[in-house]
Amino acid sequence: MRTFGPKELLQDVRERGLCVECGACVSLCPYFKTHQGKTAMVFPCDLPEGRCYAYCPKAEVDLDELSMNRWGKLYETTPLGNYIQVLKTRAGKNAPAGEFQAGGSVSSIITFAMTQGIIDASVLTDREGLTPVPRLVTRTEDVIKCAQSKYTTAPTLEALNIAMHEGQGKLGVVGTPCQITALTQLRSNPLNLPDFSDPVSLVVGLFCTWALDARLLEPMLSKRLNIKNIKKMDIPPPPAEILVVETEKKRIEIPLDEIRPLIPKGCLICPDMTSEWADISVGVLENEPEWNTLIIRSESGLEVIERAVTEGWLITERLPEKSLQHLKIAAGNKKRRALTKAIEDKLLNNQGKNNRSSLRLRSEAVDKILEPL
Amino acid sequence: MENLAEEKKGTTLLMMGNDAIARGAMEAGVRVAAGYPGTPSSEIIEDLASVSKQLNMYVEWSVNEKVALEVAASASYAGLRSMAVMKQVGVNVASDFLLHLAQYGTRGGMVLVTCEDPGALSSTNEGESRPYSKMMEFPLIEPGNFQEAKDMTKWAFQLSEEIRNIVMVRSVTRLSHASSNVVLGELPEINTQPEFRYHSNLMDTMEGPIINLPGTVSFLHRSQQEKLKRVAEIYDECSFNVYTGPDRPELLLITSSACNLYSREAIQILGVQERVGILKLGTTWPLPPKLLEKHLASTENVLVVEEVLPFMEDNIKAFTASIGVRIGVKRFYGKADGTIPMVGESNPDVVLNALSKILSVKYEHVSTDYSKKAAEIAEKGAPPRALTFCPGCPHRASFWTIHTTLALGDREGFVCGDIGCYSLGAISSGFDTLKTLHSMGSGTGLASGFGKLGNLGLNKTVFSVCGDSTFYHAVMPSLVNAIHNRADLTLIVLDNSGTAMTGFQAHPGLEVNATGDNVPAVDIPAICRAMGAKVSVCDPFEIEKTQTVLLKAADDREGVKVVVLRQICALSPEKKGKKLYDMSVDEDICIGENCGCNRLCTRIFKCPGLIWDNEKKKAGIDEVICTGCGVCASICPSGAIKKKEVK
Repeated sequence: MRTFGPKELLQDVRERGLCVECGACVSLCPYFKTHQGKTAMVFPCDLPEGRCYAYCPKAEVDLDELSMNRWGKLYETTPLGNYIQVLKTRAGKNAPAGEFQAGGSVSSIITFAMTQGIIDASVLTDREGLTPVPRLVTRTEDVIKCAQSKYTTAPTLEALNIAMHEGQGKLGVVGTPCQITALTQLRSNPLNLPDFSDPVSLVVGLFCTWALDARLLEPMLSKRLNIKNIKKMDIPPPPAEILVVETEKKRIEIPLDEIRPLIPKGCLICPDMTSEWADISVGVLENEPEWNTLIIRSESGLEVIERAVTEGWLITERLPEKSLQHLKIAAGNKKRRALTKAIEDKLLNNQGKNNRSSLRLRSEAVDKILEPL
Repeated sequence: MENLAEEKKGTTLLMMGNDAIARGAMEAGVRVAAGYPGTPSSEIIEDLASVSKQLNMYVEWSVNEKVALEVAASASYAGLRSMAVMKQVGVNVASDFLLHLAQYGTRGGMVLVTCEDPGALSSTNEGESRPYSKMMEFPLIEPGNFQEAKDMTKWAFQLSEEIRNIVMVRSVTRLSHASSNVVLGELPEINTQPEFRYHSNLMDTMEGPIINLPGTVSFLHRSQQEKLKRVAEIYDECSFNVYTGPDRPELLLITSSACNLYSREAIQILGVQERVGILKLGTTWPLPPKLLEKHLASTENVLVVEEVLPFMEDNIKAFTASIGVRIGVKRFYGKADGTIPMVGESNPDVVLNALSKILSVKYEHVSTDYSKKAAEIAEKGAPPRALTFCPGCPHRASFWTIHTTLALGDREGFVCGDIGCYSLGAISSGFDTLKTLHSMGSGTGLASGFGKLGNLGLNKTVFSVCGDSTFYHAVMPSLVNAIHNRADLTLIVLDNSGTAMTGFQAHPGLEVNATGDNVPAVDIPAICRAMGAKVSVCDPFEIEKTQTVLLKAADDREGVKVVVLRQICALSPEKKGKKLYDMSVDEDICIGENCGCNRLCTRIFKCPGLIWDNEKKKAGIDEVICTGCGVCASICPSGAIKKKEVK
């Protein structure tokens, strides 16, 4: 991949409005910090090459190179990316109970992995009001506090960077596709640092179509309810076209048309709906609110799932064919939309020294994805 | 200067111009002196404070120059000799009172000393105060050498008593802060009992109440002008106006103040003593009419050499026009025609270039070859040395945190700056944080305005900073304005327990005053709370805690927040020479130039105590310069900088 420095990061991502506040560039160094969900460069850094640029999921992401590194083959043009199996899952009887978004599979898998010593700690995302808060969770009882979907951007990887800096290893990470993309770039040691060691043992990716800017969402919701008391947020399946927000006492519905303007521009060029670089990817299952759709992608992911099932922490069933088809269509559409937008905004496959891209992918793959159905 | 009152009449001492002015006041029997610190004037009050008990004087560092002038005036009204001391900008602060003071007149001899800064070596402006004398109609005198600095100051009190009005004595940096031999005079025994008389009628300026009222103004103003006429007569006979040169010079050079010394040097270097006559005026407002007419009549060409504004030049031209029927038209050289630069401090080369041009005498102050070589070496070899905060300065830590806060806030923000060491917050040593800088207290005044523009659509976080001395001087009214008008701003008071920039003088926040007496301190946070601001107090050396407090203030959009960052100046007598910590760098941990640090400590933080070893590619501590404050250890991203408490 082509790597540049913090100055180019500001030009290519901040100034183009592509930042999705994933936190990958934060707390690697004294220069990038976050406050209440916003990332900023606090003092100027002039290095020609930096980890900030290398990790950023919106700056010179070479999908083929990333795929070679992760899976040993070129980037899959198929909607779901590289995978072993797709299942229908939910938390088993031995998993701790709690308030889940849907099936509770993520909380269960993470807690299980911690109790089994597969991971020593996990990088999760908590919420205070509407402000996302990255957390390094070391006690299993604290996992459940980070459960449920946050529909906003979150600088989750800041917690990973801090943990790495403190010498932590054997980490589990739960993140959205952009966060997992950044994480995968990090794990490939793009700057060839001699003393690098991979701190991550398990990656759970979440399905995501788009996220919302927390700082813009807050004033919108504050008018209608007390954001400190938000218990759950949800986007029901089509044709609902609403965002549902619930406190203990209140339930409000906001038309998606009203919140689409709050989607960061970076989401519009993201081709990844199902977290294609994770070990295990998890999302909801349409019309089955107490179940999850779960994609197993790697051998290590498969092993964790099999053990979790054996120990009663996870229940799995065959995913109905219709659901799989729907998933593929949705994911394929996102890839298509993303590449179309990237081409339109001149962010794909730019040539020339000073013409940097957000994404790179071999042209035959681009053509394949954009083929009319 | 120590022992300034010990030395006897006839002794010759090497002393600064300011010491000479102080001694002159002492020889005149001054009893009350007040001022506000300001370079190049500060030593005068310091000198007088050190002898105040011995000479039975009252000496005060006032809260600002207006109050200083009022304090001195009270002594004059009580029949004592008094003096107010300030730099050029201080006269601006005092000017409203000065107008009324000069209109009414004085009783005991009263002198206003203004020490000015041509070229703005230590000021944010290149202003001057002499025009006040013309505008507000009181006499002005300018010592032209170090002996005169003493003798003319002493004489000023006498002149003041003769005409019953204030006399302005004007000095500049190169007199105030340079030194020469001065022969001392006698110190008098003064036993005047202060007595404030006000029982007579309104028109009696020695025994009546001191009142300026619409009904009395024309009477007072007329008397004021009569006084000036008398002064002009005195000036015509004054021995401080000196002429050296031929009876009919080819060029008459009229000068005052330090320019007297530059002009004499220039004339000597060029060897044009037979062609140029130099008229050094010690009395520059009003102009001495007979003396001037005599010398103007003796030549066709006049060069006026003075510091800062063409004050003398314009007045002499007007005077020349008024007597034109008698002496004819003269050719003038000076600032108006560009012979003398309008901007920047004067020096012998300025006069040399002027004389060389006017008299067509060749002069090259350095050879072109030398100039070229010097420029090349400076470019290649001389490293740029920006103004910076001292090692251990709390302002470096404060601006570090302020800058970070504004970068992290959810909207862009800026800081309105003010006057003091912390003015360096405007450059890289202060991380380019300040975005406005004018005069004492103006930061918060501007912020009070910016803080209301949010209603009109300005979407930026507004901060202002001020020092502890500045707070008492001028910020309090601006703060009241901001609170009362509900401006959205955060004032950060950088409290380093002293008026540091000018030499660590006392101010109302301390429990010791100029003369070493115990006094009650006036508490800044309490004042701000009483005004109605939301107040927090932090130690700026505690970076994280200060960051949290400042972020909270930045995110708060309602009304006025005050954050007092309290940590004593690194140069304060209490702190100097005492290290809190022994600092060291673990080279195995130091990331240096690489991603993750990129020399944060030596490239951005830039404390002079930190050094970058370009061979080892590691940071290090200069043990001689480092004052052991420990702040660099807090900002080092790898933890390579270590601090060990000094027992």
